[in-house]
Amino acid sequence: MPLSVDERWDLIEKISKQTVEFGAYKHTLKDAIAELTVKPLTGIPVAIAVLYGFWSFFIDFAGTLFTDGFMVRLFDEHWLPWLQSVFPGGLGNPFYALMVDAGHWENGVLVASDNCFEAFGVLTSGFFVPFGVVLWAVLAFYLVFAILEDIGYLPRLAVLVDTVLHKIGLHGYAIVPTFLALGCNIPGVTATRPLETRKQRFMMITLLSVFVPCGAQIGIMQDLVPELMGWIFLTLAIGYLGFGFILNKIVPGRSPEIIMDVPPYRMPTLRNIGRKLWIRTSRFLLVAVPFVLLGCLIVGLMYLTGAMDWLATVLGPFLMGLFGVPGETVSPLIAGFLRKDLAVGVLGGLMERGIMTTFQVFTSVVLLCIYFPCLATFALMLKEESWKEFIGSIASLVVMVLVYGGLIHLVGIMLGVA
Amino acid sequence: MKILLMGHPNVGKSVFFNRLTGAKVFESNYPGTTVDFMRGWMRLEGEDVELIDVPGAFSLEPKDKAEEVAVKMLEENRDSVVVCVLDASKVERGLYLALEIIERGYPVIVALNMWDVAEDKNIRIDVEKLERILGVPVVPTTAISGEGFKELVSKIKEAAPVKIEKIIENAGGGESAAVSG
Repeated sequence: MPLSVDERWDLIEKISKQTVEFGAYKHTLKDAIAELTVKPLTGIPVAIAVLYGFWSFFIDFAGTLFTDGFMVRLFDEHWLPWLQSVFPGGLGNPFYALMVDAGHWENGVLVASDNCFEAFGVLTSGFFVPFGVVLWAVLAFYLVFAILEDIGYLPRLAVLVDTVLHKIGLHGYAIVPTFLALGCNIPGVTATRPLETRKQRFMMITLLSVFVPCGAQIGIMQDLVPELMGWIFLTLAIGYLGFGFILNKIVPGRSPEIIMDVPPYRMPTLRNIGRKLWIRTSRFLLVAVPFVLLGCLIVGLMYLTGAMDWLATVLGPFLMGLFGVPGETVSPLIAGFLRKDLAVGVLGGLMERGIMTTFQVFTSVVLLCIYFPCLATFALMLKEESWKEFIGSIASLVVMVLVYGGLIHLVGIMLGVA
Repeated sequence: MKILLMGHPNVGKSVFFNRLTGAKVFESNYPGTTVDFMRGWMRLEGEDVELIDVPGAFSLEPKDKAEEVAVKMLEENRDSVVVCVLDASKVERGLYLALEIIERGYPVIVALNMWDVAEDKNIRIDVEKLERILGVPVVPTTAISGEGFKELVSKIKEAAPVKIEKIIENAGGGESAAVSG
């Protein structure tokens, strides 16, 4: 016989009266720290310090120490020249172009590339992007993230940003999927499941897949355009909040309050941190590397067959007119369907050739973030959302890209930089 | 026989799962780490038993997608023993879910997890009395350090369905044992 809700609570009351005894509660150091990190006056400075520390570690450890200090030299000064000297075919040979170096035309002469962004072969850029840059970014991100997760800091951050996120119909808990998505959008999308209404999930999934760049992408952006990172994040954050506000107004349904537990702080264990780091990094390698290599091959083939130039000519006026970026941007956009990190890498190759202004680079990087979720995320959205919601997500995505991309161009024109 | 791990979000079900199966499920200190169920195998008195890590749920009336998965798992596995993981510092809340599962006729064993946190907060629980009232095994555990697991595993076989009327009878009028909170 099932009890009613009230009968059940009555019974619990009776049971606990006889078995549970609450002694005097001592205020411990742990409680003091816990309070400092949720009260706005002290909590906001702490949050800024934590995020700043996170970002500094990410840049110093992944960017400066591993990528610039070691990997760039290894790939550009040893790996690329060595392949160029031993790989059969040589410059101009199609197979050589696909695998090692497509080269580029300078005053009517085909010139060999001198770095792995430009070369764009499967064996050069295809390995440089995941192993030279992204792996270290992913490792650094997940190391700090796992520590924050296990300490129990994320729910506190959720409490702090709750007021801001309420303005766009989301709950502070949204910070958890958002943060996860900064590592990889896939766990970010699955982490929306504890959200209560379909509306909240739909909004969260849509906003995540459009405005939150993944760790792989951030890592390679940081390597390519470190001086623009602040502007890029600002633009994405404004888009996230702005379009969240609009979605909240037009999507039917409710956004009720979610009551979330703030767990006690805990000491992270080395075992658990190590295990999570290992699982997440190996998952990244398994998913990312084949896609990056495949993407490299596809983009290479499209260049060789002239399909890319054709697309650049056809779509050029549209890209130039709406977003103010040159037709060549087509190639990173195509690579971006498969992998965002690869797409930024392709963009890097274009930059090396000096055909883009700083503002065009900025616009392209932002466009790459928002125009399409990578293939893996796309497939997951299909699984997590109903058909109606999925079409809604894609429609919102198209509108957001056109409107926001155009808006960025417009602001650029007004500021006189576009 | 199957074993389901159920309980509120963030009570340590995934830590239980990893300890019992040696598997690699994500453990984090925030609610909602597990949003889909996970299966694994554990040894129980010489035989292999399937263990399922169910996403956290506050009650069996689902309010979100993760809770829907939890209820579905329970309904699809009628032949299971349920290890109900409670936060020992919030026993009342956890008991609600435990009672719901007992009412549905599942054999239940209660793990009072985060026993260390409860001790820190100066909360004392009369485990034997709780066991007598509920009529199911109750074991204090601290999953992170592994305390109480041996006892928990040895008592899984003792779990048997209990009639809710029996629990009401055992709870009686509810004479107060101590200062209540």
